[in-house]
Amino acid sequence: MTTDLLEQFSSALAERASSVQGAVAAIRLSDARHLSATLWRPDVAIASEQSLPRRDAFDLVLSGGATVKAKLAGRDAGTNIAALRLERSLGPTLKNGEATAGALALAFGADGAGGVRARLGIVNTAGPEWASSAGGRIDRYIVLDLSLARAEEGGPVLDAGGARLGISTFGPRGRVLVIPSATIDRVLPSLLADGRIARGWLGVGLQPVAVPDALQEQAGQPGGAMVMSIAPDGPAAKAGLVAGDIVLSVNGTPAYRLRRIAAALSSIGSTAELRLIRGGAVLSVQATIEARPT
Amino acid sequence: MIEAVKPLAARRLRIAIRVEDAALADELRRLVLDAGHELVDADADIVMQAANAGFAALAEAEPRTLLTPREMEVLGAIGDGLTNKGIARKLGISLHTVKFHVESLFRKLGARTRTEALARAAERRMDV
Repeated sequence: MTTDLLEQFSSALAERASSVQGAVAAIRLSDARHLSATLWRPDVAIASEQSLPRRDAFDLVLSGGATVKAKLAGRDAGTNIAALRLERSLGPTLKNGEATAGALALAFGADGAGGVRARLGIVNTAGPEWASSAGGRIDRYIVLDLSLARAEEGGPVLDAGGARLGISTFGPRGRVLVIPSATIDRVLPSLLADGRIARGWLGVGLQPVAVPDALQEQAGQPGGAMVMSIAPDGPAAKAGLVAGDIVLSVNGTPAYRLRRIAAALSSIGSTAELRLIRGGAVLSVQATIEARPT
Repeated sequence: MIEAVKPLAARRLRIAIRVEDAALADELRRLVLDAGHELVDADADIVMQAANAGFAALAEAEPRTLLTPREMEVLGAIGDGLTNKGIARKLGISLHTVKFHVESLFRKLGARTRTEALARAAERRMDV
């Protein structure tokens, strides 16, 4: 065995790529196009929800080129996770690891023909929990310092020890993010059982706005959220909300704090008290929180 | 001919195009797929869904950067493609006032262009 450090490092990377191959699959979309998926459990593969076409069944190309059929078990835009149930169980899966800023990260994808594609970088950011614009809670904010091809999205991201940090996905402007293992493990049981993550829903599109000066004293707060759109027959529509209303608070939470509003809607079936400004007056209405339709 | 352009959700755009010439339709389909967009309906019409803008965090605005309802109206008119003059006419206010509102909303959104202002405002929007 060579004593050259660089050669040892290189061999170790190649070895890692070869050992992870069994945990990477290609989701075939057309003859020329595919996405990557990570074998999370022996019979479940995980993919990046935002890029997965709305189909019920997929063909997966496994390591070595064999194909297996998979059914969509569930998808959640909030956490950007889709779960595919494989027709048969495959080999063992990887153990979970934790991201550390500055540590090496390896991202793998499928080449579409049974092979693996590899990327090497470092963990650029290992931040705390964050909320996605689609209403999901992500356990860590992990950004990688590497580039990824579209077809490689959804493959496993490993630390130097071979433990999985999660799966890769694209953030805004092509940034490579990781959906953490903890988030996948938290969401997966519900996805497999119900096909989705039930989220509380009011059926309104809200845009944070400043409360007009003349009404600030009456409102008792600087901001609210303007109703931009209303889902027909949704909870807000049933409660009589109309476009142009400014919602001040939902159960006492200021409406311009969108993250807290999303969190405040967790209990489906309960009543939400909405304070709002309409036509220069402050009034209150009640709405029953429903489950967000898929 | 572009038949319909409508936002599906905050970040997704769906565009339907009717093309009479079959060869041209095939070529367009290939271009759309190669660009990483999705063909929602591969049959008669080309219906594409724009490549996703990426999995993004919810942008939360500080109270001092909240747009006033008037600034929202001006931003809406910018979204309709109106010039400052057009906005002044539509809202019945002076050109000077429009410029004042536009400058203010650019500052609050941290935007340098009209397109950027629209994008930044969209990041703050949430369907709940």
